[in-house]
Formats: sequence, structure tokens, C-alpha cells
Amino acid sequence: MKVNRDTLVWSFLRTILLACGLILILFPLWLVVINSFKTLEEAGRNFFALPSGLNLDNFKELFTNSNYWIFLRNSLKITVISILLILLLVPAVSYAIARNFSRKYYKAVYFYLLMGLFIPSQVIMLPVTKMMTKLNMLNHAGLIILYAAFSLTQGVFLFVNYIRGLPYEIEESAQIDGCSVFQTYVKIVLPLVKPMISTILIMDTLWIWNDFMLPLLILNRTQSIWTLPLFQYNFKTEYSFNYTLAFTAYLLAMLPMLIIYCSGQKYIIKGLTAGSVKG
Amino acid sequence: MKKTKTNRKMPGKYVYFAFTVIPVVLYTFFYVVSVINGIKYSFTDWDGMSQEYNFVGIKNYRMLLENPNFWNSMKTTVLYSIMLVVGVISVSLMLSISLNSLKRFKTFVKSIFFVPAMIGGVTIALIWDQLFYRVVPLIGQALGIEWLSQSLLMTGKTALPAVVFVQIWQAVAMPTVIFIAGLQQIPDEQYESAKMDGATAFQRFRFITMPYLLPTVTVNLVLVIKQGFTSFDFPYALTGGGPVRSTEVIGILIYNDAFKNLRFSVANAEACILFVLVAIFSLTQIKLTSRGGVNQ
Repeated sequence: MKVNRDTLVWSFLRTILLACGLILILFPLWLVVINSFKTLEEAGRNFFALPSGLNLDNFKELFTNSNYWIFLRNSLKITVISILLILLLVPAVSYAIARNFSRKYYKAVYFYLLMGLFIPSQVIMLPVTKMMTKLNMLNHAGLIILYAAFSLTQGVFLFVNYIRGLPYEIEESAQIDGCSVFQTYVKIVLPLVKPMISTILIMDTLWIWNDFMLPLLILNRTQSIWTLPLFQYNFKTEYSFNYTLAFTAYLLAMLPMLIIYCSGQKYIIKGLTAGSVKG
Repeated sequence: MKKTKTNRKMPGKYVYFAFTVIPVVLYTFFYVVSVINGIKYSFTDWDGMSQEYNFVGIKNYRMLLENPNFWNSMKTTVLYSIMLVVGVISVSLMLSISLNSLKRFKTFVKSIFFVPAMIGGVTIALIWDQLFYRVVPLIGQALGIEWLSQSLLMTGKTALPAVVFVQIWQAVAMPTVIFIAGLQQIPDEQYESAKMDGATAFQRFRFITMPYLLPTVTVNLVLVIKQGFTSFDFPYALTGGGPVRSTEVIGILIYNDAFKNLRFSVANAEACILFVLVAIFSLTQIKLTSRGGVNQ
């Protein structure tokens, strides 16, 4: 009897907790969605009601009178190229380190790259801005290179541990069969590390797509090269009075990621935890 | 591999080496050199704009230690981090235990709780900025609570907890799924046999759940504490450090000093002090991680 009552109380508390959580997450997003379809007047009259009709003025305004498409393209370009660069560099250097860990040079490289774990981002943000200014690289190429350089620490940390946990025999037999190191890496190792590749892919995509600080430092001066987060931040200062338009802008900025999430949320959650729990 | 160092192995060595070249160069040039430059600037009087500057020794550090704004910022950062860690860890712990024991709609509910992790900090901050202005005061008025009846971001006392709350709103997602991954490793038999032996719910939590969760607690603590110390997006987009410096965490102080107050070298000194604190913290953390937990 007693056990039964315990479980009842527990499941009651659990339901309340989860319901409150769901409301707290969904309600703000819901307000953003409904108000993006209202005019300023209508939202002023009733902020919480459903929009009276499918009023697309805010969307039209953003699509035509702002550079939304340009900012979207900038964000896409920066994220895709950075991720490709990261996936080209990180697994390869990690493989070299993991399979030569007894050698002094590779061990040194490993700990050298890992030093970044101890360095807070604020330490780099000022000198790196000065350096990029001096190099004349306050542009997309500069930002992409910075992402590649700054992603190394975490990526190598996760990958080296993962590769060292893989059995060596398969690679060895491939090499006995005449595969070169490079062939072994491409044909044997890369397929084996797929789970970790997806972890890095998701983690770094979220970071780069949503990042605010580096674009603020590197791109803020020229409007045409802004990313979506920069657009939104500057939108606040420009259009603070027209908040339904602002809501539309927030919605449009969230949308690409949310669409990707809806189509693969299971893989995204799984991919993220695979890396962080094992590593 | 073990036996010979014949010529056939030579190219392999070069390939391995080649794999490391670009990353090491990139990291050295853009990361390590930046850190060294930052440390160097902190010993100068550079305002960040002029052509030349002089070395002034530890003057910037001495000045900072006497500057009440710096101490205020340090205090705010520590307070911010403590609130963030306590909030995120306790909420994500409760959520993960609730979600893990859910029988129906588990995947669906879990995926909704993970939505905030998809959205950028700035977007979230700007949305909540509007909500604090338009929605929260209405709730306060309806309940007759005075401090909730105006925007929480406007008064010094409530601004900091409000900013932390918004960051918690987003930061809870990731630790929650990590905790769930930890919980899923617990074999069901352990609970059953404990029940048969008459263990109470609390005892079961204390002696079965806790040891399994301990390694994930460490992972999450590291994650969240670092987020706390380096927080920038949320306070910057919500309050910009105000009102009256009540949310001026160290990240904001550094940014403002460097780019608005033209105290570039002083800002670098602030960053270096933060660096030392984070390094000490991380080293302690590594020491502590090496003990305890089922997985270790």
C-alpha cells in the first residue's frame, strides 16, 4: 500500500514539474510566433490573443526592406565553411596524435592544444581583434579562420580520447595489406569515428551559428557582412519601438535551426551526448 | 609497426607529421600569440588606438586592485556563476530524473526541453527582454507582488537574478540530456533488489542513483561553471551591464573598458586576472575529477 502511495505522489510531482517546464519553454516562443503576425496596434490592444488574421506585413517588411537574406547567407556561408575546415583538420590531427602518443612530439602537440581549456574567451577577445585589424582580416575569411583555430582544443580533446579507445588491429591489418597511412586514415579510421564526427558537427554548428561575441568583434563595422545574431542585436537598437517587427526578426532568426532540429532531433540529442559522456 | 623502421614506414611518418602542421600553425598564430599579446598589453599604457605605447610594469594591476568597479565586477561574476550553477544543476537534475522515469511521450517531451539549446543566446535574451517589459509585470500586478510589477531589468536588485534566470532557461537543456545519459546506465535490477530489501526512495537515490550520476555531475559542473565565468551574450544583450553596474560581469567590464572607455591595456589586465582564476579553478577541478563515481 505504502509503496503505491509513494509512486502516486511522485508521479504527481513529476507531472507538475514537467508541465511547468513545458509552459516556461513553449509560452515565450508561442508569444513570439503569434505577435509576429500582428501589427503594432493589434499587439498593443491584446498581446496574448491570437492574431485576427494571417497578417504577413512584418515578414514582407523584413524580406524586402532589410537585408535578412544577405545575413542568412552570411551565417550559412560562415557556418558551412568553418565546419568543413574543422572536419578536415580536427580528426586528422587527432588521429596522428592518438596513434603516436608514445612519441614526444605528438604528446607535446596534444598538451599544447589542450592548454586552451584553461583560457577563458575574454583573454583572447581583445588581442585577437587587434591582430585581425592589423592583418586586414575583419571579414568572413578572418572569422572562419578564427573558428577553425578556436575549435581545435575541444575537438582534439574529444577525438584523441575516442580514437585511443578504438582497437588498433583493424588499422594494423590494413597496413599489412599495403594501405598507406593516408589510405588507412581515409578508408578505415574515418568511418570508425563517425559518431564523434557527428558530435563535433552538431556542437560546432550550434556554436558558430549562434555565436555573438566573435562576429561582434570581427564583423560589426560593416553592415553587409553581418551574421544573423548581429542583425538581431543591432535590430534592437534600431527598431526598439516596433516590437512586433522585432519578434518577426527573432522568429526568422530561430527558424533555420528549429527546422533542422525538427527533422533530426533524435540524432542531434544522441550525437551531442555521445561525445560529452564518453569523453 | 613494432619490429621495423624500414623505408616503407618513412612516408607514414611524414603523413602523420603533415596532419599536425596546419592545426599547430593556426593555433599558435591565432590563439597562443593572442594570449601572449594580451599579457604583454596588460603591462603597457596602450589605449588601443594610438601608434605607440610604453611599458608601465604592474601599474595596471595595482590600479585595478584599488578600483572598486573591478571588485564589484568580480563579485558580480562570482555571484552570477553561483546562481547559474545552483540553478542549472538543480533544475536539470530534477528534470532528468522526471524525464527518465516517464513512461509515455518520453522522446517527445525530452525533445521540447532541448529546444532552447538550439536557439542563440542573443535571440533568447532579446525575447526575454520584451517579456520582462510586457508580460512579467502583468503577472506581478495580478498577484499583487510589488517587485514583480515593473521590469525586473530596471532595478539593481532584481536585474542580476533576472539575467541569470534567462541564461538558466537556455543552459538547462544540455546538462539535462547528459544526466539522462548517465541515468540510463543504471541497471534496473539494482533498483528492484533494493526495493526488495526495503530501501526507501531516498536511500535508493542516495546509494544507487548518486554513484552513477557522479561522473556526469562533474562533466556538467565544469560545463556550467565555465559558462558562468565567461558569460557575455546574456548580460550584454539584456542590460549591457546596468542598471548602475549591477549586472556588469567581468566579460562586460573588459569589453566596455577596451572599446568604449579606451582603457585597452587595463582591460587586458582584467582579462589576465580572470585567466589566473580560471586556470586555478580548472586545475583543482582536474584534481577532483580523478576520484569517485562508478565509471572511474
